[in-house]
Amino acid sequence: MKRDSLLTQIGWLGAAVGLALILTVLVTLPAGAPPFETLYVLFKGGLGSMSKIGRVLSVWVPLTLCSVGLLVPFTARLWNIGVEGQVIMGAIFATAALRPFDEGGMMQIALAIGASMLGGALWALLSGLLRVFGRVHEIFSGLGLNFVALGVTLWLIFGPWKRPGVASMSGTEPIDISMWLPRLGNLSVSWVGLALAFAALIAIYILMHRTEWGLKLRAVGENPKAATLFSLGPRRRLLQAFMICGALAGLAGATQVLGVYHRLLPAISSSYGYTALLVGMMASFRLPLVPFICLFFAVLNVGSIQLPLQMGLDSSLSGVIQGVMVLSVFIVQGLRMWLNQRKEAD
Amino acid sequence: MIVLKDIHKHYGRVRANDGISLDLEPGRIYALVGENGAGKSTLMRVLAGHTRPTSGTIEIGGESISYLTPKLARKYGVGMLYQDPLDFPAMPVWENFQLGAPKRTKREVVDVIGELSYRLDACFLPDEPVSSLTVGERQLLELLRLLDLGATTLILDEPTTGITPEQKQDLFNLLIKLAREDNHTIILVTHKLSEAFEMADAIFIMRQGALVSTLEPPYDEKELVHLMFGEAAEGEVAELPKLPPSDSTPRLSMNDTYFAGPKYTMGPMNFMAQPGECIGLAGLDGSGQEVFLRGLCGLDRMPDGSMRLDGTEFRSNDFNTLHRAGVLFVPADRLEMALFPALNLMEHIKLTFPDRKGDLNEFYEKQCVEGFNLRAHPDTNASELSGGNQQRLLLSLMPDNAPLILMEHPTRGLDAGSARQVWNHLKGRCADGASLIFFSPDLDEVLEHSHRIVVFYDRAIAAVVDREEATMEVIGALMAGKTMEQIREEQQ
Repeated sequence: MKRDSLLTQIGWLGAAVGLALILTVLVTLPAGAPPFETLYVLFKGGLGSMSKIGRVLSVWVPLTLCSVGLLVPFTARLWNIGVEGQVIMGAIFATAALRPFDEGGMMQIALAIGASMLGGALWALLSGLLRVFGRVHEIFSGLGLNFVALGVTLWLIFGPWKRPGVASMSGTEPIDISMWLPRLGNLSVSWVGLALAFAALIAIYILMHRTEWGLKLRAVGENPKAATLFSLGPRRRLLQAFMICGALAGLAGATQVLGVYHRLLPAISSSYGYTALLVGMMASFRLPLVPFICLFFAVLNVGSIQLPLQMGLDSSLSGVIQGVMVLSVFIVQGLRMWLNQRKEAD
Repeated sequence: MIVLKDIHKHYGRVRANDGISLDLEPGRIYALVGENGAGKSTLMRVLAGHTRPTSGTIEIGGESISYLTPKLARKYGVGMLYQDPLDFPAMPVWENFQLGAPKRTKREVVDVIGELSYRLDACFLPDEPVSSLTVGERQLLELLRLLDLGATTLILDEPTTGITPEQKQDLFNLLIKLAREDNHTIILVTHKLSEAFEMADAIFIMRQGALVSTLEPPYDEKELVHLMFGEAAEGEVAELPKLPPSDSTPRLSMNDTYFAGPKYTMGPMNFMAQPGECIGLAGLDGSGQEVFLRGLCGLDRMPDGSMRLDGTEFRSNDFNTLHRAGVLFVPADRLEMALFPALNLMEHIKLTFPDRKGDLNEFYEKQCVEGFNLRAHPDTNASELSGGNQQRLLLSLMPDNAPLILMEHPTRGLDAGSARQVWNHLKGRCADGASLIFFSPDLDEVLEHSHRIVVFYDRAIAAVVDREEATMEVIGALMAGKTMEQIREEQQ
């Protein structure tokens, strides 16, 4: 069976979006909210002004970094659910790298970024080692390590890194403005972050589709037993896949610390790791779709802030819509497979 | 009496069955022969109700219908025995027997098993788990179960694969009894002509989806081969290459070697192979030949002993080290073990020959198309290839210079012409100095292509038989657990 043309694929994606909208309307109806107005507010909240678009982009950057990263282990058929914890670890390492400095510049920023990638990669390596040598499924180890990472953050914020005098959920002492990521004009997004996200997209595309390493990783994911027969070093390759994903997730953590919150918070990851898993599923882990779906999810995230203000609805509706979107994609995919099978059977 | 009329079954543009009409009378034994992909299985699945034909009618039990369902087939007494027994190994004999049957107590089931076993000279312990039975016994149990369900038309798909010659004889006697005494219809699906000659009252020959002929005894082997394979059957089988003088360094020597598979450890083993030698392994499933091959290439552990390859000693059998030393393992389970289903042919080539630069298309032409007659576009995914083409791909991925080739079932899924091509290729490699150690469930294949045969029984090497001594009877007896001395005594 050949792959469908791009047009058919987009058509099916459109069907999924339509189904998602219908389901969303069904969800909002009992809340007493007029459905179409809700959607309007949601999208206007995300795209209504330049500053809002700036905020959307600052969500898009870490989300894209995580989603692109997830693609690598998924190619080897690994569900790196620990990506959330890897974002947090990246943020912790970035903060740690900056603590000795009262002020700084590009050097310190580069140092923090490097540290964050190292932190994320090491945290991912833990999952990987447990998987490859301990036969612990990466979903369980990843989920566990997510909680550990969160625990470490809380301990740091309320313990060694607490603000002088008060320890609170509002996080550590803010870093000096000289070490913030430079902004793009007066938008809240940083050009460094955007550049990093685009670079990651291109780099991972080349890595997966143009290099021997990518081909071998795909082979390992396709059939680990055959990969052993071909002497492809499946274990080493799986660990590398985990670490690449961890490094990108760590980078996402760094953009949160350096570009958005300028400190370490308990909620530093904004759950982008989990959202990225949804993005990956919805894109069926096809790289070209990832940036667009990330953008869509970012709009929903930012737009939902308007819901409590304007409609008196809870902002968690954006989460509902994201979940429903992914479900619809799966339903439509299932439908499509069923239709194909029926066509073949006839 | 069952009449199939103009049965068509099309999968897309492929015509698996193309207008087949045949009559099946009670009390007779039929053989359905044809090479792989001729449409035998499809036709039998139509008859057993597992496949709905595109068009055509089936007259059965006095009614004319357009297709059968498994339930209808059972109602009309059609039962099919599959090549791999469809049973539940973890469950005891009587529970397996009871599956699909109307509700009965255990005592009733045990009585029925006893009665049927007595009539058909079989012996089953009702509480024994099916996993402890041999393949032959499992087939027999399945057969009893079908009879208990009221089957009067029995379809047996390649029933002699993986059983000893003795078990085969028992099975055939039973089938003859069922046909002659109980007036059952028996259809034997096979690609072994000797079985068809031995058993059948009529032979149906299928080729490329069509019924080309129906032969009645006396059979003419030449005519049958020609009908089955067409022109492809004509061609020479290469001779086994002559062995070089044996004073050279052995290719492989094992010194008190143990191999540990997932289920059992076997050893100590001492065995030598010379360069250029073709060594066939024979044994029932699970007798040790699998672990032997997997241990030699390093997929199963070697807890003790050592082995030498061309004079170099290996105290551990690390897969990658042996792979670099030129030990090549080609497993039988292609999509499970040896290929990447969603990668295309060219990607397989790239993975196997990473050092080869330049025009891979040209290399592909030479390696796959010319070498092995693999006619597929390099962009095709491995999962889309037919079984035969998957085997061809597997073979064309074998590096040319490997000194020790370990193969499970080298011609699995290939038609006669391609199988001959494969063997000629392998023998060519042996003539160039490579050693081949292979296993095949088809004893004829082992006998035909080996300088020596290693017979496995009960997870150990039972005997190593030279080509001159190796006959079907000797190897069969060794596989069933007799010793060489016992066989010699019997022969005298």
